[in-house]
Amino acid sequence: MNKIGIAHIYASQNNTIILVTDQTGSETIAKSTGGMVVKNDREESSPYAAMKASDIITEKLREKEITDLIIRVRAPGGSKSRIPGPGAQSAIRALSRAGFKILRIEEVTPIPHDGTKKKGGKRGRRV
Amino acid sequence: MYEIGNLKVPFNRLGAVIGKNGSVKDKIEKSGDVKLDIDSNNGVITVFQKNDAVKAMLSLNVIQAIARGFNPEKAMLLFDENMQLIVISIKEYANKNSKRISEIKGRLIGREGHTREIIEELTRTYVSISGNTVSIIGDFVSIQYSREAINMLLQGRKHKTVYSYLEKNAGELKFKRMEESFGDD
Repeated sequence: MNKIGIAHIYASQNNTIILVTDQTGSETIAKSTGGMVVKNDREESSPYAAMKASDIITEKLREKEITDLIIRVRAPGGSKSRIPGPGAQSAIRALSRAGFKILRIEEVTPIPHDGTKKKGGKRGRRV
Repeated sequence: MYEIGNLKVPFNRLGAVIGKNGSVKDKIEKSGDVKLDIDSNNGVITVFQKNDAVKAMLSLNVIQAIARGFNPEKAMLLFDENMQLIVISIKEYANKNSKRISEIKGRLIGREGHTREIIEELTRTYVSISGNTVSIIGDFVSIQYSREAINMLLQGRKHKTVYSYLEKNAGELKFKRMEESFGDD
């Protein structure tokens, strides 16, 4: 029988977080981040770090005998950026190349139905 | 077959998604392993996935790129590895119903497309300005610089500042692209 897991991928401009749960979404099976695999702070969000992070995930999932994955990608969302960071696509690619059957890919970026004001004030961020 | 999403395409770009005798539509369906259902009454395109979920997601990106003003050949680049699409809304930088939106669009394009050409050439990305959005297609490294340059223009910085920013970083970019492909850290 096929075991199905859900891979939540959170890709921001600063980091990439991959968290795999069971189908209910409450039980964590494996997790890894871009910051765990590189030493340099600015490389945490890079595609290379995301690839390395998904390699760690792959190993852990092999142990637990999970074969199928549902992927949920999100960007920061809300009042922040709705464009996923550079790590998202390479993480998905690495997972599909590792031999997992990917059932579907969902976009779950939170989109406000009119919420709070964007951070930074009226005159924007002053550097 | 499983429905993975629907996109609303402006009417003037609907023809570009379909192509002559449906050639572009066929190409997307073939290389993306999907089925497209196009409703020409309200401009909604529904995408059905057949087997490969990753390719299906990419074909959704390709359709969005064509809808945002890229020609189909450039949009097909998104099926490649490392290519990314970014869509930025100009509305966030201007008040509603103001003339500022068309002003910003003019600033981004420049005289006879000069500004856009400089951004495209120095960062080796493709930029399209259509409706109330700016969209960029490029690889992961160069797209960051292109996006930063466009952000500077949107905020109202001088053209001169943006050009010198791009020229300063263009040499560095070549080196960075090499580093990224070898994956050293």
